[in-house]
Amino acid sequence: MKVALRLVNVAILCYLIAPIVVVVATAFGSRAYPVFPPHELTLVWFLKFWATPELREALRLSATLSATSTALATIIGTFSALALVRYRVRGKAVFSVVLLSPILFPAIVLALALLVAFQRVGLTQTFRGLVAAHTLLITPFVVRLAMASLAEFDPSLEEAAQNLGAGWWRTFSRITLPLILPGVLAGALFAFIMSFDELVVTLLLAGPELQTLPIRIFNYVQYSSDSTISAISTCLIAVWLIIGIPVYARFLSVRHSGRG
Amino acid sequence: MGILPKHVSRLRSWLLTPGTSYVPWILLGPNFILIVLFMLGPLLLLGRISFEGYQAGHGIIETWQAANYSKFLFDPFYRQVLLGTLVLGAEVTALCLLLGFPLAYALSRARGLKRAVLYFCILMPLLTSTVVRTFGWMILLANNGFINRILVSLHLTHRPLRLMYNVTGVIIALGEVLLPFMVLALDAALLNINPSLYEAARNLGARGPRIFFRITLPLSLPGIVSGCVLVFTGALSAFVTPTLIAGARMKVMSTIIYQQAMALLDWPFGAAIAFVMLTTILILLVSSLQVTDRWRSA
Repeated sequence: MKVALRLVNVAILCYLIAPIVVVVATAFGSRAYPVFPPHELTLVWFLKFWATPELREALRLSATLSATSTALATIIGTFSALALVRYRVRGKAVFSVVLLSPILFPAIVLALALLVAFQRVGLTQTFRGLVAAHTLLITPFVVRLAMASLAEFDPSLEEAAQNLGAGWWRTFSRITLPLILPGVLAGALFAFIMSFDELVVTLLLAGPELQTLPIRIFNYVQYSSDSTISAISTCLIAVWLIIGIPVYARFLSVRHSGRG
Repeated sequence: MGILPKHVSRLRSWLLTPGTSYVPWILLGPNFILIVLFMLGPLLLLGRISFEGYQAGHGIIETWQAANYSKFLFDPFYRQVLLGTLVLGAEVTALCLLLGFPLAYALSRARGLKRAVLYFCILMPLLTSTVVRTFGWMILLANNGFINRILVSLHLTHRPLRLMYNVTGVIIALGEVLLPFMVLALDAALLNINPSLYEAARNLGARGPRIFFRITLPLSLPGIVSGCVLVFTGALSAFVTPTLIAGARMKVMSTIIYQQAMALLDWPFGAAIAFVMLTTILILLVSSLQVTDRWRSA
């Protein structure tokens, strides 16, 4: 019985990581289209990724977009968390739900809503529009992680600083911020990953001039199969694993529900 | 009629009960602006547009009508899309529950390094984008792909099975995409069960299956419900996996919304489908909350 259960679980784990293994393996395969398992090993698809101007441009755009949105989301989200945890606010429970709500709506619904609204004010197919949409989508992650960090430490430290004559800004910059920095940084990194991987909303708002890396991959995969895409994906998987695992561990320790 | 000073002072006294300050409202300000301008406003506009008309060549016609909703709910083709999406959601949820439970059970029991390794295997897919994972499934499920070559070489099938461009492939891939959510929800519930209950049951002479059906299963019900809601909602609103795996062969709600938004430019109809999707999810959430409430009070 125990052995059977263990075998079943090994099979389920294989199912879970199969597509990732396949993508990474085919990135090193010698065929121009991905074949699993690969026969001969080569690094040529990684070089081709770097040598393709439109993919490099997409990488640059994605990095700029995600960095800008993450910076905005980190500031906005940290302030919100501070207000909700440290102050007596009327309707705190309702506001918490409202602030976290962007991650509850299906992406395709928000995407269409933003498309319709942005069309009226001329924000479709603009970088500013994409920054606004991404900031909306990723701020909840910062709020959640910053709130968890704030709840962890003793508010009497802040009170002590204020009793000793420190003003609001001095208390925040000398006491509060250094103490919640790990949580805020984890939130920012997680928000960056979420923004970098975002496809659906970006797809509806971006237009032909603003093709982010996920859009390029999506379009490539839809019409052709190419080992270069495996190489790009492998690079992304490697980067996300390195920066993501510690962040995700932290995120999970404070999360109560996930997102579909 | 403008806002009277009376209203302003009433609002101020509501916001600033004695002992509170302006500071939190200033801190929350940017986030409220973000949500109102880029979420609530656009959603209200979308709601209004879902009642407008559309004529090819003319564009959007400003009226109030429910034709978009009745078209989606009563036209045979679109009703089939709605039903197909709901059935897909149910199938993916069943698959995830079936595969998620044994894995979550092992995860909740594991300690130390074993738990860390298991956790890593479940988290790694979550950190990898859906596009990348679906691409992996496209390679695996192709007619001459790995799975079909294995099946043929084991003589389990003579001709390759059709796994791409149909609902089977979508269920396989979407199940994998959403499985981590189910496992994490179940793991949280299973960890909450007091281990002394198992000991008590064993001391009273209960055996494996009986312990499972009388203790493990009923006590993990809140996790089962929240995991199923997460997976079903995710399957209902999934866009990337159905588009890439099924292509034009199978339409689900989100691909129809995309088509209306980008190709046909019938935004009123797309908006109506979006609100049908939201309503379905809302009904699901409310009924699942009632299930867990009843469970708690029982």
